[in-house]
Amino acid sequence: MRIAFLLALLAGGVYYAYVAFVDLDFLTRRGRLGPGFFPRIVGVSIVVLTIWSLVDALKVARNRTDDPGSWRDVALLMGLAITFAVSLRLFGGFVATVIYLALALSLLNPGKHVQNALLCVIVPIAIYLLFDRLLNASMPSALFNILPI
Amino acid sequence: MDIFGDLLMGLSIAITPINMLYLLVGAMVGMIVGVIPGFGPSAGLAILLPVTFGMDPTGAIMMLAAIYYGAMYGGTITSILLNTPGESATVASTFDGYPLAKKGRAGPALVMQAVASFVGGTVGVILITILAPMFSQVSRSFGPPEYFLLAMMGMLTLIVMIGSQWKLGLISALIGFALGTVGVDLETGQGRYTFGSAELIGGIYFIPIAIGLFGLGELFYSFYTGMHRLGSGGIVQYDKEERFWPSAEDWLTTRWTMVRGSILGFVVGVIPGAGATIASLMAYSTERSLSKTPEKFGTGEMAGLVAPETANNAASSGAMIPLLTLGIPGSASTAVLLAAFMLWGLRPGPLFMEQNPELAWGLIASMYLGNMILLVISIFAIPLFVQIIKVPYRVLGPIVVVICTLGTFSVHASFIETYLMFAAGIVGFFMRLYGFSPAALVLALVLGPLAEEALRQTLTISRGSAMIFIERPASLWIIGVTIALLVFLPLLSRIGKSASKAEKSGS
Repeated sequence: MRIAFLLALLAGGVYYAYVAFVDLDFLTRRGRLGPGFFPRIVGVSIVVLTIWSLVDALKVARNRTDDPGSWRDVALLMGLAITFAVSLRLFGGFVATVIYLALALSLLNPGKHVQNALLCVIVPIAIYLLFDRLLNASMPSALFNILPI
Repeated sequence: MDIFGDLLMGLSIAITPINMLYLLVGAMVGMIVGVIPGFGPSAGLAILLPVTFGMDPTGAIMMLAAIYYGAMYGGTITSILLNTPGESATVASTFDGYPLAKKGRAGPALVMQAVASFVGGTVGVILITILAPMFSQVSRSFGPPEYFLLAMMGMLTLIVMIGSQWKLGLISALIGFALGTVGVDLETGQGRYTFGSAELIGGIYFIPIAIGLFGLGELFYSFYTGMHRLGSGGIVQYDKEERFWPSAEDWLTTRWTMVRGSILGFVVGVIPGAGATIASLMAYSTERSLSKTPEKFGTGEMAGLVAPETANNAASSGAMIPLLTLGIPGSASTAVLLAAFMLWGLRPGPLFMEQNPELAWGLIASMYLGNMILLVISIFAIPLFVQIIKVPYRVLGPIVVVICTLGTFSVHASFIETYLMFAAGIVGFFMRLYGFSPAALVLALVLGPLAEEALRQTLTISRGSAMIFIERPASLWIIGVTIALLVFLPLLSRIGKSASKAEKSGS
């Protein structure tokens, strides 16, 4: 995974440098430093350093066994978070929060039904009151309005 | 106006009921952020920054600053009661804090850490009061070459402190610089990396990235390390002890430790990149080497707890000096604070204290009051924090995701920024996992546009000649200081690490 991450960074770095060299001018018409000056330095440096780190990673990869950690739970939390991001667009801030918390707590905190049910109601209400009423900040509005808030 | 007059003026601003309320809330939230393992001040600040948007700038900055230094107080409670530091700057507090608790002296340890934090924080603010105007005076002669060099100094010192993983730290910083170049080039009006998106014309906003990296990224990493599976069974029951308050001997034996820790911590805190973690480890190491009974360190010696506590709080105050007087943050937390200033159209730097005396002195005065509030809270609200420690991570995690998401959305009501925050969270997790530095990325994202602008202005002034950097005395000084720091900081880091290693091996 470390090597895959470095490769992804390298791909990003190469693309960034490519755009800097192809689309952005190094000098302006007046002969001053242009918008491409800084990105070219940054892009080339990212590519060089990432390749260097990649070579280092490949050298040690043979002797290294990655700590398995709790990949399953991290992936679960990430998946739930992405589901929340999508449901925000569909159901709006309040309802999406209730749905997300119900789902997340039932999976991560199983068996504690009363506690989970209370949190699913109290947390969204508290956040709605804080953001929408007290701070007058925007909450995501819904494509499908279930509740009039 | 003299310093004393300015401070009194600041006090009159800070002491209004609404600002005192903000300060109290900030102190309380900061302590809670500090108590939760895995969440440091940068995460707390990034997550809670959107909450301050409805406030007036002075109150908001006071509250955010209180969250920043309040986290230092809170982080030690778990170090003492659970042997788990709330954040990296309180690692050294576990060395003697937890053994003290195991010896049945958790109460005195908690009180002494609160007092030590108060002394460190207050000495730090006194030194800010005296030194900040002097720093502003000196830095008034700075121009674009000096600003570029200062930005580079901040970045390089942070990367040097990363140590053997410096290449990954440098890549992290370069990614931050790269993200900072997105948007319209102010000089030519040409779009850079906007790909035709209207949302990217103004550049990549700092808040979603900071919330993603520090909030979600840290949360995912904590789940990866299995923190959500831990119970709260290991908490030392301090309330069942006979004696809660420290003895006269505790006060007497640590009085000079507090003085040394405060001064050392402040000096280390002023250096960009060094920070509270190094300060606390160095203070611990210094105290042990000065002690007549060094063998007692690690077995529950009060000086071993007091030294890192005073140092980390003094360091967090010291880090405000380059932020306020040069506009250069030395750490991820102060980078988030700088972003908060910028949100209100404020630009910390040499003229900041002169042009915004009410805000600058109000903030400094609020830090005196904030430390007093934190002293009281951290002694009398211990039962509350113990209850917070008991909230399992598996419950806290989903709630943090909700706060991060809605907090990000509330800034500009933008779904794109919300998705960007999620992307930053996932990238932040992998960065944390593979030894990259999210702090360097965030610092570079803030400093990058400033550095680029300063470099282009410098080379325009000099007609493309880099000799300008050595022709100007101020630039030459900054280059000299940077070189000295690059040599000196790895030594500091080594002293800190050797203290930590010696402690782990029990010597």
